[in-house]
Amino acid sequence: MENSKRRFLKGTCALFAGATGASLLATVNASEGAKAESDIKYAMIHDETKCIGCRACEVACRETNQVPEGVSRVRIEQTGPFGEYPNEYYHFSRVSCQHCEDAPCVNVCPTGAAFIEKETGIVSVNAWKCVGCQYCIAACPYKIRFINPVTHAADKCDFCRETNLAQGKQPACVEACPTKALVFGNLKDPTSELVQVLRANPTQRAKVALGTRPKLFRILAKSGEVIL
Amino acid sequence: MSKRQWLWSIRLGAIALLLSFGATSAESALQINSDTTCMKCHKRNGQMLGHHGQDAMKMTCSTCHGEKGDHPKKPNDIVVFGMKDGSELDTQLAVCHKCHTQRKLGETEWTHNVHAQKVPCAACHKLHSPTEPMADMTPKVRSELCRNCHSGQ
Ligand code: SF4
Ligand code: SF4
Ligand code: SF4
Repeated sequence: MENSKRRFLKGTCALFAGATGASLLATVNASEGAKAESDIKYAMIHDETKCIGCRACEVACRETNQVPEGVSRVRIEQTGPFGEYPNEYYHFSRVSCQHCEDAPCVNVCPTGAAFIEKETGIVSVNAWKCVGCQYCIAACPYKIRFINPVTHAADKCDFCRETNLAQGKQPACVEACPTKALVFGNLKDPTSELVQVLRANPTQRAKVALGTRPKLFRILAKSGEVIL
Repeated sequence: MSKRQWLWSIRLGAIALLLSFGATSAESALQINSDTTCMKCHKRNGQMLGHHGQDAMKMTCSTCHGEKGDHPKKPNDIVVFGMKDGSELDTQLAVCHKCHTQRKLGETEWTHNVHAQKVPCAACHKLHSPTEPMADMTPKVRSELCRNCHSGQ
């Protein structure tokens, strides 16, 4: 009797242990599955040392993504002139979505229209879900979102997710840039040009202190630091 | 009714008058193009139809291109404008800078500053054609102009 009770207990324990083990395994498998799913994480570099301020990127983006006049997904901000004639120069920096990993726009969106695409890390907008409340516009620390006057939905750079990327091409701005100042690619692919350039150059990202983990990198044209 | 007809006839008359002016200017009655010395040879490639040719500016071919000198024999002192087959860069720039100061140019358009003393004005500007390609450019045309030189790396 004693023996059979012990055997019963042992048996149940084994059963439980087995079940837990299996379920543990299952979770491990699942997380591995999730990892395997997202071995793409897109990012972009704007090399300000190469940028000439031609704004071909702005033009190409407008054409490719049918961005109406008056609003824009990408803007080149120009400062200057610096230096003395005849060697004056300007600075150009790219103003566009940073594709934050912890995106405030996504966090505040009440309808789920603002979302991060799991497979690519692209922050995008589902126009048909957007109710135009503009919470995301207020929340974006980089001030790059806008209401598209045609679709009446929030809009911004989506790395051409619905246009050029879907056709297996590079983003329109990258394709258009005559000086190759823009580099787009996969952060998780160590052989990609993006990673190579990131490894070879000191880069900066805007407002990292906010914890948004932005993925738009800039190679600064000239040191903005005080000269000691 | 008759008053209205009268008004119309005046309007039509005015339009006809304007059109006739237009026709004469298309044939270029501009003073600068009646310079027989130059036009003897350069009637086809030398007609001045652009802004700088208007009579009020009282310019002649030599205002920009310099005195004839030994031309067409070579060498000569004629100033030729252009990126590739033009005269020395300094020579070309000096001509334009006689009237256009760098400061004003820079104020009107920032690209003047970054190209100063590096490329001749004629690399972008065309003075002889009736329309100046640099005026009223669309952003697309403008960026393509940059690409002409700044391509590759
Ligand atoms: S930059 Fe603005 S719009 Fe882009 S992901 Fe970050 S918070 Fe969202
Ligand atoms: S990646 Fe596409 S959407 Fe984003 S700025 Fe470039 S062209 Fe515009
Ligand atoms: S197309 Fe390239 S070079 Fe031109 S403004 Fe954009 S980033 Fe700069």
